[in-house]
Amino acid sequence: MNMEYKFRIDFDENNVLESVTYTLVSKFNLKPNVLRADIGGDGAGYMLLGIEGDKDTVEEAMIHILDMGFSVKELNGHIIHDCRKCWHCGACVSLCPTKALYVDSEMRIQINGGTCIACGGCIDGCAVKAIQLEL
Amino acid sequence: MAKTYEEINERIRSKRAVVMTAEEVVELVERKGVEKAAEEVDVITTGTFGAMCSSGAFLNFGHADPPIRMTDIRLNGVEAYGGLAAVDTYIGATAMADPPTKGYGGGHVIEDLIAGRRVHLQASGPGTDCYVRKSIDTWIGLDDINEAYIYNPRNAYQNYGIATNCSDRTIYTYMGKLLPRMKNASYSSAGALSPMINDPHLDTIGIGTKIFLAGGEGYVTWQGTQFKTNVEEVNGVPVGGCRTLALAGDMKQMSAKYVRGLDITGYGMSIALGVGVPIPILNADIMKNCAITDDRIFAEMVDYSLPSGRTCLQRYSYEELRSGSIEYQGKKIRTSALSSLHGARMVADELKSWIENGEFLLDEPSRMLPKEASLKSLKERRG
Repeated sequence: MNMEYKFRIDFDENNVLESVTYTLVSKFNLKPNVLRADIGGDGAGYMLLGIEGDKDTVEEAMIHILDMGFSVKELNGHIIHDCRKCWHCGACVSLCPTKALYVDSEMRIQINGGTCIACGGCIDGCAVKAIQLEL
Repeated sequence: MAKTYEEINERIRSKRAVVMTAEEVVELVERKGVEKAAEEVDVITTGTFGAMCSSGAFLNFGHADPPIRMTDIRLNGVEAYGGLAAVDTYIGATAMADPPTKGYGGGHVIEDLIAGRRVHLQASGPGTDCYVRKSIDTWIGLDDINEAYIYNPRNAYQNYGIATNCSDRTIYTYMGKLLPRMKNASYSSAGALSPMINDPHLDTIGIGTKIFLAGGEGYVTWQGTQFKTNVEEVNGVPVGGCRTLALAGDMKQMSAKYVRGLDITGYGMSIALGVGVPIPILNADIMKNCAITDDRIFAEMVDYSLPSGRTCLQRYSYEELRSGSIEYQGKKIRTSALSSLHGARMVADELKSWIENGEFLLDEPSRMLPKEASLKSLKERRG
């Protein structure tokens, strides 16, 4: 069954010119989506990928990427909502482009990590610092 | 049909009072009509839980031995006012820590005290013949000090604007983070549950009205600052910021559940408080006002990227705002509330249970608030 998995891939000047996404498509027939990428002047940086495919293929592919010399970390629960701090004001909701932050029927704020693209736009919109992004 | 405060209080004392929240009563009024609902219901409870910057607390620390007249006072590093008597101070919600980047301010000090946490008191003074001491460094808790009461010059705004940003860059305001090119908009009133939207001309709310303030009993002590009445009304409710209340209450009764220190990026520090006001259903007119719904309450959207002269772009109902998005000239704008409706409901529900249990009687105001008031702006002149 195809699912979307999220990964953080770190690279440096030794492999910055190699295409991770091309490898994922051509070798493994996966569907990568670059959620975010940041490269510094020193050639080092990271990107966040959403990868659609079946679990075994994604796992095999990421081992391959690891072997290519990239550092790979799966993001699972990368967005953390501290329910003790949150007072359910809703300031974060309109800052989220994918409705990963939403208001439930009890008017409480909930987070759907599945649709969170880790853009981080909500973080400084929260006045009680109840949302954390761990990449 | 008319009821008196005394009749309602008698029913509260004997635990027979019929109490509903301003949301619950809507269905009853629709089903039975205003007159019948007014006969059946004794009290409507309202609530709001939002940022209220013009808030703070008076504290009296008690005297140490030897005593000090404090003129420079810090609580967890946040500046408190040193211009009162020896060991009195006022800590304002927007007061900042030094350095101000710490994300901690006066609102957080108040939250810490109410949550039962000790706070670091550092104070110094000139040293006088009657107060020989020049400095003190200690930790205080709410139980250790004499008086600790919230006194807020301006709370519970009657309606407020909707903020959006027409510019090309993200702006950080007291109305939250506003994305460029009208990507989002924020609003702050609790709408149909908000205290002064249910009593729009303050027929029952006045000086001496007993209220729910952050989990304890409080009082309306005066009109709030920037109180005005000359705002256009739609369905009997002003379409923008209008009347306000000055509130006071004993911090020692309060619950941390209804208090949050806020660090609003780019703006500064503030506090969110839960405020609930009971409305006695003395007659059918008062009942009619309480039956208002979000689709009949409107607010005006303005561009917060303009430094001044923010004119209304469009009016929206709270029902539209609550839906998650509104439309402006064919463009979809995502909406955010800045006050907690979940919290406002907790406030209205808790106040309702106090009244139902006979623990909270209503106080008739000793003086009503101004029927007419308008704002002055600050003139810049020399001498």
